Amino acid sequence: MSTLTLTDVSKVYPGSSERSVDDVSMAIKDGEIIALLGSSGCGKTSTLRMVAGFESVTSGTIRIGDTVINRLKPSERNVAMAFEGYALYPPLKVRDNIAFSLLRGRTAKAEIDRRVKAVSDMLELGPMLEKFPPNLSGGQQQRVSLARALVRDASAYLLDEPMSQLEPQLRALLRARIKDHMTLHRMTTVIVTHDQTEAIALSDRVAVMDKGLLQQFGTPEDLRERPANLFVASFIGEPPMNLYTAEVGGGELVVLDERGTPAFRIPCQPGEFAGRRRLSIGIRPHRVHLGAPGNGAAGGSDALIPGEVLSNHWLGDHSHAGIGIGGCFLIAVADRHVEAGVGSQVVLRIPRDAIHIFDDETGLAVAHGLSA
Amino acid sequence: MAYLSVEALSKAYRRNEVIRDLSFEVERGEFLVVFGPSGAGKTVLLRLIAGMVLPDRGRVVLGGADITRDAPDRRDIGMAFQNFALYPHMTAYENIASPLRSRGMARAELDGRVHGAANLLRIDHVITHLPKALSNGQKQRTALARALVGEPSMLLLDDPLRNVDAKVRYEMRLELPRLLRARDTTVIYVTQDYKEAMALGDRIAVLGDGRFTQIGSPETIYNRPADSRIARLFGDPPINLLDARRDGAAELRVASNSVALPVRRSNTVASDCVLGVRPEDVAVSLEPVAGAVPVEIDAVTPLNDRQVMLLRADDGTEIFASRPQSEQIEPSAGNAHDGIGRGRRRAWATLDIERAHFFETRTGARLAEPALRPELAR
Amino acid sequence: MSSQLLRALRIVLMVMVGLFFLFPLLWVVLMSFMTNVDILRSPPSPFFVPTLRNYLALISGHLSTSSGNVQIDYMHNLLNSVILSVCSVVVSLILGVPAAYAFARYKFRGGEDMAFTLLSFRFAPPLLVLLPLLGYFQTLHLYDTYFGLVWVYQLITLPLVLWIVRGYFEDVSEDIELAYRLDGHGWLATFFKISIPLARPGIAAAGLLSFIFAWNNFIFALILGSSDVQPVTVGALAFITASGIEYGQIAAALVLSVIPTLVLAIFTQRYLVEGLSLGAIKG
Repeated sequence: MSTLTLTDVSKVYPGSSERSVDDVSMAIKDGEIIALLGSSGCGKTSTLRMVAGFESVTSGTIRIGDTVINRLKPSERNVAMAFEGYALYPPLKVRDNIAFSLLRGRTAKAEIDRRVKAVSDMLELGPMLEKFPPNLSGGQQQRVSLARALVRDASAYLLDEPMSQLEPQLRALLRARIKDHMTLHRMTTVIVTHDQTEAIALSDRVAVMDKGLLQQFGTPEDLRERPANLFVASFIGEPPMNLYTAEVGGGELVVLDERGTPAFRIPCQPGEFAGRRRLSIGIRPHRVHLGAPGNGAAGGSDALIPGEVLSNHWLGDHSHAGIGIGGCFLIAVADRHVEAGVGSQVVLRIPRDAIHIFDDETGLAVAHGLSA
Repeated sequence: MAYLSVEALSKAYRRNEVIRDLSFEVERGEFLVVFGPSGAGKTVLLRLIAGMVLPDRGRVVLGGADITRDAPDRRDIGMAFQNFALYPHMTAYENIASPLRSRGMARAELDGRVHGAANLLRIDHVITHLPKALSNGQKQRTALARALVGEPSMLLLDDPLRNVDAKVRYEMRLELPRLLRARDTTVIYVTQDYKEAMALGDRIAVLGDGRFTQIGSPETIYNRPADSRIARLFGDPPINLLDARRDGAAELRVASNSVALPVRRSNTVASDCVLGVRPEDVAVSLEPVAGAVPVEIDAVTPLNDRQVMLLRADDGTEIFASRPQSEQIEPSAGNAHDGIGRGRRRAWATLDIERAHFFETRTGARLAEPALRPELAR
Repeated sequence: MSSQLLRALRIVLMVMVGLFFLFPLLWVVLMSFMTNVDILRSPPSPFFVPTLRNYLALISGHLSTSSGNVQIDYMHNLLNSVILSVCSVVVSLILGVPAAYAFARYKFRGGEDMAFTLLSFRFAPPLLVLLPLLGYFQTLHLYDTYFGLVWVYQLITLPLVLWIVRGYFEDVSEDIELAYRLDGHGWLATFFKISIPLARPGIAAAGLLSFIFAWNNFIFALILGSSDVQPVTVGALAFITASGIEYGQIAAALVLSVIPTLVLAIFTQRYLVEGLSLGAIKG
């Protein structure tokens, strides 16, 4: 268990002119759980494989503790890895697959049994220990692969899409148990995933990657409340953030629909965005409050916008409402049942601090929240 | 008279009955979602209705006509597939035009209809492309346009949003019902995602072991699940199923703690049962609360702006609790910035027994609820 | 620096391997423009006066050797080869493609056994099959006819078509066919408009391979036909004359006989590549 530090790490594959990983730096603390999040081809897996030692590092350094590990063989790095394709040993029973790395060392038999039992209980693998991997379902194989990595004593744990195939009924439970296990044992962990829900559920900090570049590295709260750019804003959150183009008018932002016609207005301080003509604005669905028309007066300094309910889906513990405002479409999430029927008129109350402003061209965040 | 009626349908593959004696009806213009875990027989059911697979027994009646043995091309059914099933050697235009071509429609009318469907699904700008040049979202829109353009009276949608990205999935979830309601199309929609089922279905049919274990509105299925298996399928994190034992006249023993049993429930529970408590009905406090179960918070795993907590009672029982982020108990519970000293912490969980479900221990069936006495009914 | 060296080394190695495989072909082409004297010179020399004599002899049918003139009918043999191979492949495709579709799509009793039996035709030593067949062919008046030979050639070409094309049909998603049926098209239209186009690379590959196998066959026509129907493979025997072997003409004959297959291969290559890159399902 150790810190893991990447300094200006880049990867260029032979025959390619582009950097698959471009100057990535991050300092992962001892016992910290972080996620590398992005869609396929963003460089997250290449980064993980460089840490594991399966890919050479084109430039930059990777350290575990104070040791530079760039040139060490994978077996000398003392990292545990769970592979996306599971990579189980088919002729070995599940029990021996899990215990494999322990058998190599000088761990006592009783100790091995104890640890295998603990980790397989945690991952609900008990009844499968005497089976062979080819007889297991994909989700079960993935759990064995996870167990094999978690059972080890390693300086760092690298998990490549560790829960993509898990049975939906077990996912929430295993997520929580694994997070508890990793926290309890202060395991320095890097999780690679394309699923932002999983990244946010498990990690202390999330590194969002796109096109080989680190877009933002922060806590889930940072990503949610202060996305660094449009990419992060559109990637984080389910449903994703509502994004629009807006023109800056005197004392208001005029939000445009897809065709460029004004759809609604959000009041702001005169001169707040002086010098800019166009902006991108983002509104997180979870921060929009729905109210009946006429109740709006209590809004205080919040933006009040009338709209029409286009859809209203109740999902048990929360609701998604689709609201049409002029030619614009907005998704709002409520914590409970929303009474408004399709076609009815509502007033949206959007707190000023829930409106995110991005530069129209660079996509970089300009402000999180309008000034009151 | 129902528009589609399926009567005692059965289909076996090598003595394994995938569909068992299945009967149901769909009204004209209804949106029925067939929901079930993978391998439950959803795809076989759709293929039986589409005519790709013939049943061993039973009948399929569409609009009053028995179509059980009709060839697929004579059924007036449109279908969209999870893997899109576009014709890779034809442009998007030709894909969409295919159902009209089979009718020998005049060129001008065909052209108008294809463009109309493409406009409706907002793919008019990519209509000359081959499928391989389309994004997954555009592929699925093309497939939907193809299914809709012939204005079939029945539409089968086989998990069509499975392979598209989150943004498109949300757009389509909201667009689809409007699109279909305008045409009064009867829809059977298959999915493995309970949220999709609840969002889209007028009714949801839960498929398990080749038969429907429950058919009802999303409200019915969520609030009054027929058994504990169904209850577990709807909700994320899933419902807590806790073994409970009757303990005296007005108490229930759960997780080695006593919980007060509501008066109206006192006749429901004989000796033991399984108590189903949804995570949103578990309140967590860091201070001791009377009647609450003492627990440890093992882990906090945020889920889409909800704070999800895994609690462990002293006897090892695991309980999920979930609440909106806006009402979270600690600003950064489990997510301390320094990443150190997170650890477990003591807490007290109150189970909302009024909203709990009661299931039989052995079969998992929902225990009958006594009729509300007038003075208790609202 | 070292990576550049590696690259150079790799190129040198590849050239050497290439030469090793191409040299016999190259030498045959050169031989076809040499006289027998040039060919038999020792040590062999790449410098000679090219001549078209060998080709002219083949085309005119007059072969002049040291012990007098011999009449050969090589052009007729070439025509026979084309007739036999083309007909065999066409018959195999007509019979084999629908059969392959049936084997791929429908699981019927004995289906696997039938498919395997057809493949097993390839296991038997041809000579063992041919000798008894000769008797039947003479009784049925099939001896020395194109029809008879094309029929026997099915032993070579049909299993190939069946097994290659079957694999391609299995890769065509059933959902795509179902979608087309639901669009209101009958099964026959679905077969021709969807299944066949999507399996086209497989059909092209199978056609090409079976053409090459049919073209190269020697023993069937040697035993079951006379010079009237014999292909180039048998016809080339004529160059082994009483006064010696006419290497030059054999080389020229070889070059001529390779041309049709080569042209065909180049032509079908386009289909082979095209079909494989279609993004049929998701991706």
